[in-house]
Amino acid sequence: MSVAFDANPVKAMQSTHTHTPQTPSAQELSQEIKSFINGIDVAQGRKLSVREHARCAVRLLRLVPACRGAVLEHLRGVYDEHVSAFLHHLETDGDSSSGVSSNLEDIIQEIHSVLSEFIRLNPRAWAPLVSTWAVDLLGQLSSKHAGRRVAPHSSSLNELLQLWMSCAATRSLMEAYSQCLAAMLAWCPDACVDALLDTSVQHSPHFDWVVAHIGSAFPGTIISRVLACGLKDFCSHGTKDQGLMMMVVDKGSRVPKIGSVVGILGHLAAHHSDSIRKELLRMFQESLNPSSPLSPTSSSTSWESSPQLRRAAVPFLLQLAAMSPNLFGAVSAELVDLLRPPVLLQLQTLLQGIPREELDNMLGLAVHLISQSPSGGAKVLRFLADTATPASVIISGPTPSPHEGVREGCDRLLQMLLLHLHKLVFNRTDGVEVSPHHSSCMQPQRIIPFLEELQSHISQLCAETLRLERKRHLWLHQLLCLLSVYGGLTVATEAFCQLLTQARNPEELALAWQLHTMLSSCMVGLIPAAVTRCVAQIHTHTLGPRQLKQLLLNLATAIQSQEEDTKGLQSSMATQVGTAVSGHLQNFSGLLLHGDPTVSHAAVRLLSCSPLPRTSSPADLLLLSRAAVTHFFLVLRKQSEGTKAGRDGGQGSEAVNCSVKLLSRFAAYSALTLKAVLQQLIEGALHKGNTDLFGGQIAEMSGAPLTSPSASTDPGVSLLDINCRFGTAVNFTGSVWSVFHAGVIGKGLKVRTATKMPDPSWVIQNVQTLLAVIIQCCSPAGLNGSINGSQSQDEPAPINAEAAKVVAVTLVESVCPDVANGELSWPPEEHARTTVERDIHIRRCFEAHPVLFPLLQVVAAGRPALCYCSAVLRGLLATLLAHWEASREALSTDSPWHLQASCLLVSCMGEGQLLPPVLANVHEAFPHLSPFEVRLLLLTVWEYVRGNGPMPQKFVFSPDKGQFCRDFSRDGDVARYVAPIHSVLHKNIDRLGHLCWRFQL
Amino acid sequence: MGDIRQSLLPRDVLSAAKELLYHLDIYICNLLQSGRQPPQVDTKTLELVEEFILHAPKDRNTSARRMSALQELQLLEIMCSCFQEQSRDAVRQLMFNALFGLQGNQADESRMALLGKLVSMAIAVGRVPILECAATWLQRSHRVFCVRLAQVLVDDYCSMVPGSVSTLQNIHSASPRFCCQFITAVTTLYDLSSEELTPPTELLQMIVFWIQEDLRLILIAFLNTPLTGSQPISSLDVTPLGGLVRWCVKAPLAYRRDKKRTLPSGTGETGPDVGPLFSALHLSVLQVFMLLPNILNEKGLFGRLALLQMDSLATLASELSRLLDQADKQTHVSAADTQALSQLALDRLAQALQVAMANGALLCSREDLRAICSRLPHNNLLQLVLSGPVMYYNNIHTPPLAFSPHAAHSPIASHPAHTPLATHPSAHPQYASQPFMTGMAFPFRPSH
Repeated sequence: MSVAFDANPVKAMQSTHTHTPQTPSAQELSQEIKSFINGIDVAQGRKLSVREHARCAVRLLRLVPACRGAVLEHLRGVYDEHVSAFLHHLETDGDSSSGVSSNLEDIIQEIHSVLSEFIRLNPRAWAPLVSTWAVDLLGQLSSKHAGRRVAPHSSSLNELLQLWMSCAATRSLMEAYSQCLAAMLAWCPDACVDALLDTSVQHSPHFDWVVAHIGSAFPGTIISRVLACGLKDFCSHGTKDQGLMMMVVDKGSRVPKIGSVVGILGHLAAHHSDSIRKELLRMFQESLNPSSPLSPTSSSTSWESSPQLRRAAVPFLLQLAAMSPNLFGAVSAELVDLLRPPVLLQLQTLLQGIPREELDNMLGLAVHLISQSPSGGAKVLRFLADTATPASVIISGPTPSPHEGVREGCDRLLQMLLLHLHKLVFNRTDGVEVSPHHSSCMQPQRIIPFLEELQSHISQLCAETLRLERKRHLWLHQLLCLLSVYGGLTVATEAFCQLLTQARNPEELALAWQLHTMLSSCMVGLIPAAVTRCVAQIHTHTLGPRQLKQLLLNLATAIQSQEEDTKGLQSSMATQVGTAVSGHLQNFSGLLLHGDPTVSHAAVRLLSCSPLPRTSSPADLLLLSRAAVTHFFLVLRKQSEGTKAGRDGGQGSEAVNCSVKLLSRFAAYSALTLKAVLQQLIEGALHKGNTDLFGGQIAEMSGAPLTSPSASTDPGVSLLDINCRFGTAVNFTGSVWSVFHAGVIGKGLKVRTATKMPDPSWVIQNVQTLLAVIIQCCSPAGLNGSINGSQSQDEPAPINAEAAKVVAVTLVESVCPDVANGELSWPPEEHARTTVERDIHIRRCFEAHPVLFPLLQVVAAGRPALCYCSAVLRGLLATLLAHWEASREALSTDSPWHLQASCLLVSCMGEGQLLPPVLANVHEAFPHLSPFEVRLLLLTVWEYVRGNGPMPQKFVFSPDKGQFCRDFSRDGDVARYVAPIHSVLHKNIDRLGHLCWRFQL
Repeated sequence: MGDIRQSLLPRDVLSAAKELLYHLDIYICNLLQSGRQPPQVDTKTLELVEEFILHAPKDRNTSARRMSALQELQLLEIMCSCFQEQSRDAVRQLMFNALFGLQGNQADESRMALLGKLVSMAIAVGRVPILECAATWLQRSHRVFCVRLAQVLVDDYCSMVPGSVSTLQNIHSASPRFCCQFITAVTTLYDLSSEELTPPTELLQMIVFWIQEDLRLILIAFLNTPLTGSQPISSLDVTPLGGLVRWCVKAPLAYRRDKKRTLPSGTGETGPDVGPLFSALHLSVLQVFMLLPNILNEKGLFGRLALLQMDSLATLASELSRLLDQADKQTHVSAADTQALSQLALDRLAQALQVAMANGALLCSREDLRAICSRLPHNNLLQLVLSGPVMYYNNIHTPPLAFSPHAAHSPIASHPAHTPLATHPSAHPQYASQPFMTGMAFPFRPSH
């Protein structure tokens, strides 16, 4: 074969030597290799020391490329030896000879400098080689010596790091690796990180300190590379799972790298969570971008260029997130912000290429992640709901828009999420129920972070639910249910309360009932708790007037629903609500006087329909009755003002109706309440502030000097002076000071304040309302509610005697200030002079309060209650008698008020059966008579009453009429009182002829 | 020989390999003495080699035993001395072939790895017999594997170990045949098509040094090979001439591109300018062409053996035209610079074509050349070469036997006949293609 130059190789060799004298000859090299292999100095025939051996290796590394592998392998031993010596030195606390370690340290330094020089000169060739070697050796060393006494436990990363970095060998390896990495990052970063990951998998957890150190030295790149490697690995494993694996041979045995990816990132997350988050999000975004293979930045190694990898990115990220809560937490918050419609479209197109089962897996994973996410749940939920909610019907045409797919996907995701949560929630409670023996603190309930977080967003959830958008409210409602079950009574209560507070119409309110129906099976006492909570909110003033109103109205509606639907599902609930509300009646009653009229209206609605508690303390009842009555007058005034202004009369009258209903129901509740209500009604009607409602004028009527002087008009009179003079302010009725009621002597009559007369029509209306209330309260039918209201239309229900008595007594108390001479029986007419003062007061009262007459009529209807008004009647009659006696007018009609008062008085007494019908009818003649004649007739009346005292015991209950009646036949003969009547008839027969039959006995 | 397997099995990896080598040596000696023609190593033996030396997995079930790097080094050392001590060339060849002859099976990978290390080591410790065997191996093996071996050696000596290139450089005196094959392999490997496929400067310097030292180095393989026509398919070219021409022609443009690419990063190796190296190389190549007529005539092959293949030239021309297009598009470097480099490349091509044709290394008609070069831009010299000596050779298909390169210029230069195209090409000099008009005298323009 060899023709020309095979002749003399030795000569050729020699010529070689002359060329490069600085390098050793081939012969020497050959010797060196032999020495290295055998560990014996061939020339001198002695064994090489470790140090010499290593030197020899380094020389070979410099001179004979083929020895590279062997040299590196040998150096592993050297490093290992050094580490052993180092650790031994530590273990023996340095008392043994430390010569070996120091000896080796310089050789390691030498090796390191050679390697580092090589890497510096030719990174492309050396960096991959050295990095793999260094990482592998590091892994081996840290695994091997992990069990040493001085080596800290692998979990204490910092101590581990400190130990190894203080060892020259490992530090040198680490530096070499860092150098390689820095060099390789420019062109093939994947390779070095790959090696790192592989080793990490192999030697975990002892190797973690290396990753930690490298990671913190190159955070940005390591993170992205670790991710890219993980993705690649994930991708290849993923394809294997699908059975599409091409290269079957040796991949099967490999452990997926994702575990160590998670570990590494988890470690780095402590200090570089921000960059990790950015990197993860970037990965997500890049994976969505439509493929741009020609983009200048993407090299052949970057994962973005491979469509397969890009498709795997999203599942990969999900997997990562599933494996590390840290990473997931880092990303989840911002991820949602990224999901804008265009991104969603991209995502959809990306996911379309993924097979069905894998997609299902991904969905499952996503659902799991959402349910486990500790924060941002509300945001995620809003996003999902927003996206999944279909566009309005009008817009979505027959052809599905591209967004339709996205929407459906979200829809599906959301439904799966709900299903998943459902399972979690109910399995969880099941588990608790199954093992009731174990205390719950021993085995804490499984926590669902998603729901945990949403618990603080209940009010927003409720608000959104109540918006009743298609589909969305169904989802949210379901979620509310789950939340309530999950969070137990407190959460359920809150949700329920929120719904109650926020619902604005029956449809919305129905959601609350639905919630209750669903929860009722697993929760007891929801409604009482909810109502209690509402009350608490009322007390703390956390609700605005609008919400408060809504809440009250909703509660009222709830209770009323029972009446409409007696045997429906809601009835039990309505009852519960009713009971719960009735328990807090006094709290709601406070709202009757709320500054906002809508609130008080709502409150009256609620109270008017809520059942009353079985037992209640009198104090509460009194408070309630006081509030109700006050509210009644307020409403009445509102209504009047409303009608005057010509607006919302309907609402006003509705409010009044409610108020009336409340009062009547309340009055019917017990004797106590009846009395309280009536008393307060009367007092209220006569109260200074309310008189104008009923056509009254504000005039001083007490006769007390304290109230009478109006200091502005009478500067000359000082009450103080007067009081000083007499040393007392006691009211001596009938004394000289009573002159005050007409004015101060010497100053002329008091100027009557010109009160503007209210509109008679609404005065009438108000009076009617008041009477209606009182009558309703008084009528025994009120006890049975409005059931026989229709019957009372034809024949007014008889006034309850007891109630009428209350009215009577109250009237007397408020009209007649003086209890003296208050006996029922009447004295002779002359005796009336002793009570002039009082009588005048009474008359003034009647003048000031036109409503008194109708009230008297009511009393009269409730026989024999009018008897108790005897004093008032007497006083009034006395003043009337005095008036008619003094009157110099030609006709009675010239003093109209007195005429009317006389007529009304007599007719009342007739109605109340204080007078027999013959005498009662005299008032019919009054308008046609002269004052004197009127006086005559009235005197007759007086005489009769004096003769036949108005005693209640004279009345007998007649069951057929349902009320008390007086049998006049038992009294004295009426005929002797009729004579003056007949005389007057005779005198005026021309005018009174038509009335004669009324006075026949 | 197959019966020794049982005795090898219990041994440790290294001693088994050692023992097998020993047995192999004896076996081959016996084989040669038996005088069977051709001497053929049987399959059993080859399998043993694969199992105990290359450690290729025999079947799926048994995992292959692996040698550690140290053991491998020991084995290499043993092999080196084994080949060194074997005095008979034929035995060495057969043994080398038994060990490293490609079998087209899985063991080829480990075979190539071991071969790379062995040759690298042989270079380091100067084991000429191994290099000679390797040279033969390079002649016989598929070019893909040859290129891989060359790659390993270049990596080892030109990039991995700094300063070790001198070791490789010294080889040329020890085993020129190996050097020649190495150059062929290297020129095949580095076709200047990308940055990775650009030869390292050290390698280039070394090759230029080698060729300048002895021009005949290029032809040694050709000279020492009996031309039986039994050249294995897809093996390397007989001479590195084609590859070297390609290097010289493409270098101006390829290096310009590299420079542009490395400049912005700022970290590009600012090695010595390779321009002069390629000029020297080009000169050497032309000189080697000039040596050819004598050698070919001696062998009686003149006009019958083409050392430059027509199809490789066609590839070169198309690659060049693509490079020129790219150079035009990338206007990062000044246009004048680009223009000068393009013209340099075209000049070199023209020179190489002309000299090769004249010295019988390229056997083709000018028509064929025109077809190949039709897409190249205008170049005076190339135009000249393509048009050929029309004035003196009416039949341009006649091979220009023994045509002196110096004669090519003078006749046309003295005949600036018509100038019909004078204005047109000068308007767009860089886009002017190479339109050849038959029968039309070439308008010579001294300069643009």
